Amino acid sequence: MHLWRILVVVCCALVGCGTENTPSELSAPAVYRHAMDGVPGSLDPARASSVYSKFLAVNLYDTLYRYRYLSRPYELTPNLAESLPEISADGQIYTIRLKPGTRFIDDPAFPDGRGREVTAHDFVYSIKRHFDPGTLAEGGWLWQGRFKGMTDWKAAGADYDREVDGVRALDEHTIRIELNMPFPQLVHTLAQGFAALVPREAVEYYGEEFSIHPVGSGPFKLRSIDSARAVLDRNPDFRKEPFKLAGEGYDPGRQGQFGLQSLEGRHPPFMERIDIEFITEDAARWNALRSGDVHFIKTPAAQFDQVLEQRRPPLLAPEFSADYHLAAEQESGLVYTNFNLTNPHLGYSEEPDREQRNRALRCAIIQGFDWQRRNNTFFSGIGEIFSGVLPPTVPEFDTSGNAQAASFDPAGAQRLIEANGWTPETLPILEYGFPSSVTERQMFEQFRGFMEAIGYPRGKIQPLTFASFAEYYAAYSRNEVMLITTSWTMDYPDAENIMQLFYGPNAAPGANSANYANPHFDELFRKAAPMSASPERTHLYQTMNQMLIDDCVSITGLSRTLVLLWSKQFTMLPDRSFVGGYFLRFVDSSGAKTADQ
Amino acid sequence: MNLLAYIVRKALTAIPLVLGVTLISFFLMVYHGPDRTYLSAGKNPTEQQLAEIRHQLGYDRPFLARYIDFLGELTTLELGHSDATGEPVSRLISRTLPVTVALVLPGFLLGNLLGWILGMYAAWHRDQWIDRVVTTVSVAGMSLSFLVTVILLQVILCTPWGFNLFPTRGWDVHDMGSYLHYVAVPTLSLILVTVGYNTRFYRALVIEELARDHVLTARAYGAGPIALLLTHVLKNSLAPILTRLLFSVPLIIITGSLLLESFFGIPGIGKVTFDAITGGDQPVLKAVVSLTAIMLIMVQFAMDLIYRQIDPAVRAS
Repeated sequence: MHLWRILVVVCCALVGCGTENTPSELSAPAVYRHAMDGVPGSLDPARASSVYSKFLAVNLYDTLYRYRYLSRPYELTPNLAESLPEISADGQIYTIRLKPGTRFIDDPAFPDGRGREVTAHDFVYSIKRHFDPGTLAEGGWLWQGRFKGMTDWKAAGADYDREVDGVRALDEHTIRIELNMPFPQLVHTLAQGFAALVPREAVEYYGEEFSIHPVGSGPFKLRSIDSARAVLDRNPDFRKEPFKLAGEGYDPGRQGQFGLQSLEGRHPPFMERIDIEFITEDAARWNALRSGDVHFIKTPAAQFDQVLEQRRPPLLAPEFSADYHLAAEQESGLVYTNFNLTNPHLGYSEEPDREQRNRALRCAIIQGFDWQRRNNTFFSGIGEIFSGVLPPTVPEFDTSGNAQAASFDPAGAQRLIEANGWTPETLPILEYGFPSSVTERQMFEQFRGFMEAIGYPRGKIQPLTFASFAEYYAAYSRNEVMLITTSWTMDYPDAENIMQLFYGPNAAPGANSANYANPHFDELFRKAAPMSASPERTHLYQTMNQMLIDDCVSITGLSRTLVLLWSKQFTMLPDRSFVGGYFLRFVDSSGAKTADQ
Repeated sequence: MNLLAYIVRKALTAIPLVLGVTLISFFLMVYHGPDRTYLSAGKNPTEQQLAEIRHQLGYDRPFLARYIDFLGELTTLELGHSDATGEPVSRLISRTLPVTVALVLPGFLLGNLLGWILGMYAAWHRDQWIDRVVTTVSVAGMSLSFLVTVILLQVILCTPWGFNLFPTRGWDVHDMGSYLHYVAVPTLSLILVTVGYNTRFYRALVIEELARDHVLTARAYGAGPIALLLTHVLKNSLAPILTRLLFSVPLIIITGSLLLESFFGIPGIGKVTFDAITGGDQPVLKAVVSLTAIMLIMVQFAMDLIYRQIDPAVRAS
């Protein structure tokens, strides 16, 4: 009896200690807790290559441009820049003016510990870092060969005090960019976390530790970070710019229910503190949301039956709609499986007959792949299946209904195999690569099932597993993988960013892991890439898309649909596409009650 | 041989062991460990850029030079910087290791204590119904998946579907109260998954000791159960108990904590190690693997000293 009393007292004490964490307070929460399904690496913008690192980088640092908060399709808008750039008639010279008076946060890196004004020189320095081998920068590919004189600057030893013609500060607030050839996607790249402005003093002061000591001029500053969470505090010196619904692309029809009207005229960032929780396990993320320990999650697929009343389009079940908002967001990218065309068993061949048979085999594999079942099994049936590689989020998406690549035709696949002289004995062994995980293994088993259904011997479909994604990525970059299953998240909303995945000069170790080499495709890519959006460019991209389908380069394609769920205690519209972290500055809790009513 | 000479001799024999262990782990890391070159290269790198990255990461240096540098780093505990985050590895370890120790220690101690009590109780009542109940429950406990246990406890104790008493995640520890608040559910998880193994182990140990002549003699002299178990059984089974406890420590710190840290959002060394494996962060991995190996050698060293103190037969030999 006595023991029970002690136990009760101890339990009460344990529970009582945590009152500060009891969830679902009715009053406006002071902290917004955002769950992220991955862990960021470096916070140095030059090395912030993962979506998780970028998410933080664009909140700690400033970029010249960003995407309008509410506009869909996405539209660029000035951020640190005063306006969109002035572009010369030949499209090669950009002049950009910075807003005066923006300051870096206070930090010991500065002589008196007081953050100084952000200038055009900071932009020049920040871009140069991408071409300095000592930085180990990961964003230089965006501008490889673009800026006049940059290659020579690097070859001459990457001396930051030496000017580069292509990126110059005309004065404290004016940047001049001179390109080797037109690059209409440039402004998009200047909205990337990679293009954020960093102060040279801080980079030199912290050295390698600059990655964990961000010194920026963004809306937030870092209080702490570890393997479980990052804590951001509002930057009190962030420039005062009133929020304008119209300017952010507000659409009352689609967005009226989120209560965003209450933000009009106020100065972001609105939250004093934001905690970003890194929760990689689906079950833990879901439990954290339901307990009130986080306020936003990307909903795990395992919970769709519980959360969604209907899947297409996703609609929140009534028992959740009192507490949560839902937004379904189409991924800006695709999942696909490339054939490694340098592999002689199914790729290019010098012999015309073998070349033809290999192509037929690839086409048969594509026809035998049941995207609808893949969608139902692994993407909850809410992914978008399409032909070729241009996903529905780009304006060039082919709506004509040509679904040859995505069509499932096992009988046709069998006929194709037989017609080209393949027999179970002569069919090559297919090695399907993937990083070791239960889901990836299940995807492989499903693929094996699809292939068996078209007559491929089970023993000839073999897994090629790797301990981690890093090892898998290294292997297919070295051309060591035959079938490469991967995904591509677009860096910016322009089809060029997708088509470069199949551009010949980008062959492995570049992003063209299929090693597709088609001179006609390359010629069209070179023609289309410098063009601004136009019907002619759309036609070019759709022609290239058809080439990829006809040449049976890749098993495509599907864009995942993300189901985002957040507490009604917050006024916000979260976003995961194209440097999605920008929305954090607009998260607010004070007007949430209004939104509910 | 006096104690000091014994310690010196043991310490000297540990040096080649440390060198061997670090050499093997370093070799495995360099030739079979993760390669960060391609992750660091961004998209569409040229061969020249890949070579520059390999140079920056030090991958192109001779193996022996890298190994000697690494020994120097281990000796001075200046373990370089994380390739992924840039944080000094020694600071990373000193920041996360205490968190992990604080996280797993209560569960580890309580799991063993409970296992010992249940094991002794079952052994004392061997083949009676109470023994069968304890044994059956232990086997059931051993069959429980750690992952399932963690998720179930989280749902039952931390969410509105259950009692919603504890946080699902976090480690905002500033006093004993907050510590108990955050450590309660992870501790319970650890106890639930380890108590079965512990009970079976301690039961087998006590049964073996109870059958020994000196215990029978003590019984014949009329020693009561408490005196018999504590004085005659526990004392004589200390060596295997300590071996199990001490050798569990390095492994439980590095591997046992990973799941708890991931699910409860606790910034310990298990999660850091996992992230280093998946992200190809060689400086962190080299440090963790080598320090774990060194910790095991030190445990072995400590065990030898303790055996010497508690077992007269060892001392005499």
